Amino acid sequence: MPLIDSFVFVTSILLLLGIVSSKFSARLGMPVLVLFLALGMLAGSEGIGGIDFEDYKITYAIGTVALAIILFDGGLSTSMKTLQQSWLPAGSLATIGVLITAVITGLAAAWILHLPILQGLLLGSIVGSTDAAAVFSVLRAGGVHIRPRLANTLEIESGANDPMAIFLTIGLLEVVTGKMSLGFELLGLFVSQMGIGLAAGLLTGWAAVGITRKINLASSALYPILASAFGMLSFGLAAICGGSGFLSVYLTGIVIGNHRLVQLRNVIPFHNAVAWLAQIVMFIVLGLLSFPSRLLAVVTPGLAIAAILIFVSRPVAVLLSVWWGKFTGKELVFLSWVGLKGAMPITLATFPLMAGIAEADEIFDVVFFVVLVSAVLQGWSLPWIARRLGVAIPLRPKPPVTLELSSLQEVEGDIVDYFVDRDCRASGKLIRDLALPENVVVALIVHEQQIKLPQGSTRIEPGDHVIVVLRPSVRKLVDRLFCRSTDVATDSSQEFLVEFPIRATVTIQEFEQLYDLHLSGPAEMTLAQWIKQRLAPTKPSLGKFVIHDLVSLRITQLTEDGEISQIAICFIPID
Amino acid sequence: MKFRNFVKTEAIKVGLVSTEKEAVIRELIDNLVASGQLKKDQQENIVQAIMKREELGSTGIGRGIAVPHTKHPSVTEPVGTVGVSHTGVEFQSLDGEKVHLFFLLISPPDRPGDHLRALENISKQLQDEMFCRFLKQSKTAEDIQQVLEEADNA
Repeated sequence: MPLIDSFVFVTSILLLLGIVSSKFSARLGMPVLVLFLALGMLAGSEGIGGIDFEDYKITYAIGTVALAIILFDGGLSTSMKTLQQSWLPAGSLATIGVLITAVITGLAAAWILHLPILQGLLLGSIVGSTDAAAVFSVLRAGGVHIRPRLANTLEIESGANDPMAIFLTIGLLEVVTGKMSLGFELLGLFVSQMGIGLAAGLLTGWAAVGITRKINLASSALYPILASAFGMLSFGLAAICGGSGFLSVYLTGIVIGNHRLVQLRNVIPFHNAVAWLAQIVMFIVLGLLSFPSRLLAVVTPGLAIAAILIFVSRPVAVLLSVWWGKFTGKELVFLSWVGLKGAMPITLATFPLMAGIAEADEIFDVVFFVVLVSAVLQGWSLPWIARRLGVAIPLRPKPPVTLELSSLQEVEGDIVDYFVDRDCRASGKLIRDLALPENVVVALIVHEQQIKLPQGSTRIEPGDHVIVVLRPSVRKLVDRLFCRSTDVATDSSQEFLVEFPIRATVTIQEFEQLYDLHLSGPAEMTLAQWIKQRLAPTKPSLGKFVIHDLVSLRITQLTEDGEISQIAICFIPID
Repeated sequence: MKFRNFVKTEAIKVGLVSTEKEAVIRELIDNLVASGQLKKDQQENIVQAIMKREELGSTGIGRGIAVPHTKHPSVTEPVGTVGVSHTGVEFQSLDGEKVHLFFLLISPPDRPGDHLRALENISKQLQDEMFCRFLKQSKTAEDIQQVLEEADNA
C-alpha cells in the first residue's frame, strides 16, 4: 500500500474512534481530552496500535496550528459583553495568576525533581495555563451551569492565559539555553510579544471586518475560509514581527466575532467544527508521542507536583490575583479548583525537547502526567464541587422548539416555526382559541408531508409545525403560548411572565393617568369595555389579550355571564 | 432604563420590620426620605398615592414579590428602592402568598415614558427566577446592590 493510502486509512480510523469516544466523555464525566489522549496512547508504539511515532518537530507544528485554531474559535465566540464584564479579573488571572502559579509550581518541581531552579521554573511555566475547552466541556457534560460572572471570568481567563504561559516558556528556554539573560531582556521580550501581538491582532481583525463587508464573494461558502485566512494571517504576521501569534489570533477572533456581519453567519459553526478536529488530532498525536511506560516512572514526583499545583499554586494565584474582584469565598474556591490543565502544557512541553536541553525528557513526562492527573481528578469532581459550593445554578427551562428564519436585512418581523409536541400548551386547541395577540399571523401549518392552511377553526395537533409571522416585540408572549404546559405549572426555575393585576372597572382616564398611555377611547369607558371592543368580533375569554403600545392587557378573570372582571398588565420588553 | 438610573443605593433596606401593606410602603418611603431622595413633607402624600394605585389592583405579582409604584409631582426623576422582608408582608398578592421582595418606584408625571421604561426593566428582570432568589437571600444592602449591578451589565 502506498504511504499516503495507509496514512489516510489510519487517520480515518483514529478520527472515527476519537468521535465515538467523545460520546463516552459525558457519561464518564471526564474531559474529552483524556479520552483522546488515551486513544493516542493505545494506538501508539506501546499500545495495541503499535504506531511508531516520535517526531517532536511534527508534534510541535501540529500543536501550534491546533492551538491557534482553538484560540481563534474561542475568540470568535467571545462576546464583547462577556469581555467587558470580566476582563479585569480574567486579565489579572491570565497574567499575574499564571506567573504566580508558574513560580510556586516551578520552585516545588525543582526541589522535588532535583532540577536546577531555572529548569524547575520552566516546568512551572509550562503547566501554568488553564484550559477553557476542558473546563467547559466538563461543566456542560455534567449539566452544571454557573453564574455568568464566574463563567465569563473563567472563559476569558483560559483564552487569554495561553499567550502568557507561552511567553514564560519561550523566555525561560532562551535563558536556560543562554541566549538571553533574566531581567531586562526578558522584560523586553514580554513587552514585544504582548505589544506586537496586540497590535497585529486588532489590526488584522479590523482589516478582516472591513474587507469582508466590501468583498462580495460569489459563493457564501468562501466566507468562513476568508475568516480562517485572516486568522492565519494574524498569527503569522504577529509571529514574524516577533509578537505573540497566539494572542494575536485570539484578538482577531474577538474582533471578527463581535462584528456580526451577515456574511459571517456560518463562520462560527465552521470554526467550531475545525476546532473540534484540531482538538482530536492534537490530543491523539500527543498520546501517540507519549510513552505510558515512562509515565509510570514519574508517578511519585508527578503526583507530588500535581498536588502542589492543585492545592497550593492555583489557590494562592487565584487569591492574590482576584481577591479584590468581588467574588465570594465559595466562588474563589471554585475558581481555584477549575485550574484544569489541557492541551497547552503538553504542547509547550515539546518546546524543551526541540531546544535540546538535558532535562527535556523528564520535563515532558512529568508535564504529561500532571495534565492527566489534573484533567481526571479535577475534571471528574468539578460538577460535584460546583454543586457542593452552591455556585451551580439550575438550568433555564427549554423554550419551545423553534426554528427562526431571520431576514438578512433589517425587517421588523420574524418568521418562527414552532414545533408542537404532546406537552405543548397550544396542542389540541383551535387557532381562534389560542389568544394570539395582535401583530401575529399563523401563516402555515405543516404536518409531516401535509400542509394545512390555517383558519380559525383549524385544530393544532401534536407533530405540527406551526409557522408564525410576528413582530419581535410580541415574540415572548407567543413563545409562552407554545411552551410546554409542564414548564408553567411545576418547574420552579422557569421564567415567569411578570404581570400586574388591575381591576376591569378602572376607567380609561384613570389608566392613562397611571401609565402615560393613550388608549384612545372615551374617558369614562372601563378597561373591560375597551378590551371587549378591541377584541370584537371575538368574544372575550380567559387568557385573551390586547397589545397596545408598550403594554399588553390580558384577561385573567371573567364573571359567570362572561364579563371581564380582572385584567393583568404586562410591560413588554423593548429588546 | 437600568436599575442604576433609578434605584437609590442608600435607601435599599434588608430586614424590613413592617408586616402590613401600608406600613411596609411607609417604611420603604421612610428610607427614601432618610437618604434625602424625597422631601419629608411629601411623605404622607406619596404613601397615599401608592395606596390609591394598590386599591385598583394589588401590585403583589406573586412569588413573594410586590412592585408598588406611582407617579408623583414631588420628584424630578424616577426614584426607586428595594426592600427585603424576612418575615413576609401580607399584600393581597395574586397567589395569596406573603411578600418578601419589594421594588418601589416613584416617577415624575412630566416625563412620560420613564415610568414605563423603569417598570418594563423591573418586570423583565423579575422574570428571572435566579435574580429574585439572589435578592431574597441577600443579607446586606451591598449584596442587593451587586445583584442589581450584575443585572444591569448582563
